[in-house]
Amino acid sequence: MRKGYIVVLILILATLLMINLVPVLSNFNNLNSLATSSQHYIEHGIEETGSINLVTSILLDYRGFDTLGETIVIFIVVSTITVLAVPNLGYRNDNICSPIVKQSISMIIPFLYLLGFYLIAYGHLSPGGGFTGGVLIAITFILLAVIFGVGYIKAEARRELISRSLIENLAALGFVISGMVGIAAGYNFLSSGQLGLSFGSPGNLVSGGLIPIFNLMIGIKIGAGMSVIFSHLIKEE
Amino acid sequence: MRIMLYILLLFTLISAFYAVLTSNLINSIIGLSIFSFNLIVIFLILQAPDVALAEVIISSGITTVLFIITLDKTGGSL
Repeated sequence: MRKGYIVVLILILATLLMINLVPVLSNFNNLNSLATSSQHYIEHGIEETGSINLVTSILLDYRGFDTLGETIVIFIVVSTITVLAVPNLGYRNDNICSPIVKQSISMIIPFLYLLGFYLIAYGHLSPGGGFTGGVLIAITFILLAVIFGVGYIKAEARRELISRSLIENLAALGFVISGMVGIAAGYNFLSSGQLGLSFGSPGNLVSGGLIPIFNLMIGIKIGAGMSVIFSHLIKEE
Repeated sequence: MRIMLYILLLFTLISAFYAVLTSNLINSIIGLSIFSFNLIVIFLILQAPDVALAEVIISSGITTVLFIITLDKTGGSL
């Protein structure tokens, strides 16, 4: 009975959304006249920010405040879980996984780690970026914990988790401080393209002003934060 | 390509309803995984590889693992 109500509610909400979207979708040809800022990004994005990947240049240069908000959200979540879910025991696996799984996962994990750092380092050249690479690095820790079953004693687990939280906090601080370079140079907070310090031409690995540094900080922060969340949740009780 | 996009949208809708309405939690997680897979192919068709990559790693990777481990720890129907 309750499922029926939920389905009816979802259908009503979807119809309302569609009714709202009809005037936008019906004059599809006029959308280009409305989208002036996106035209500006497409035409002048590379020369203004120095990064080929326009998504990264919008995320970290034009709309850097949004990225700061996302990292603050992850930071608050990590802080809350660190306080609330205190790890007491090491997580013990009951040998569910067969040796085939263990061997294949231990062969895959170095390449996953390398792929994560590739995504972070080439975030301004190809699809990817700090968030994606950071989550991929956290996935390697999660795979290690799930497949092999980390059985730390209490003090050792504490120390490792504290060092990971420290890495996460330092990366968050580094992101904000490298954003303040813009203020020190007399421009806005979190600005990299206006500073005029694009080392090398667009398309090289070392280019794009401060965008690679932002990517590195966000990647370290998300990777450490996600693994801290997972470890705290799995080692509780 | 447009017909394929419509078929994928239909599959997305079906898998989303299945993930919400089924009573077995493991089936619900599998439905969510299929939903995110359809969404990945839709993003690739719409030429958004950045969002597709994030969707692959976050939705197919970390969300499924976290849900399954949570079910395992809380003693759900695993």
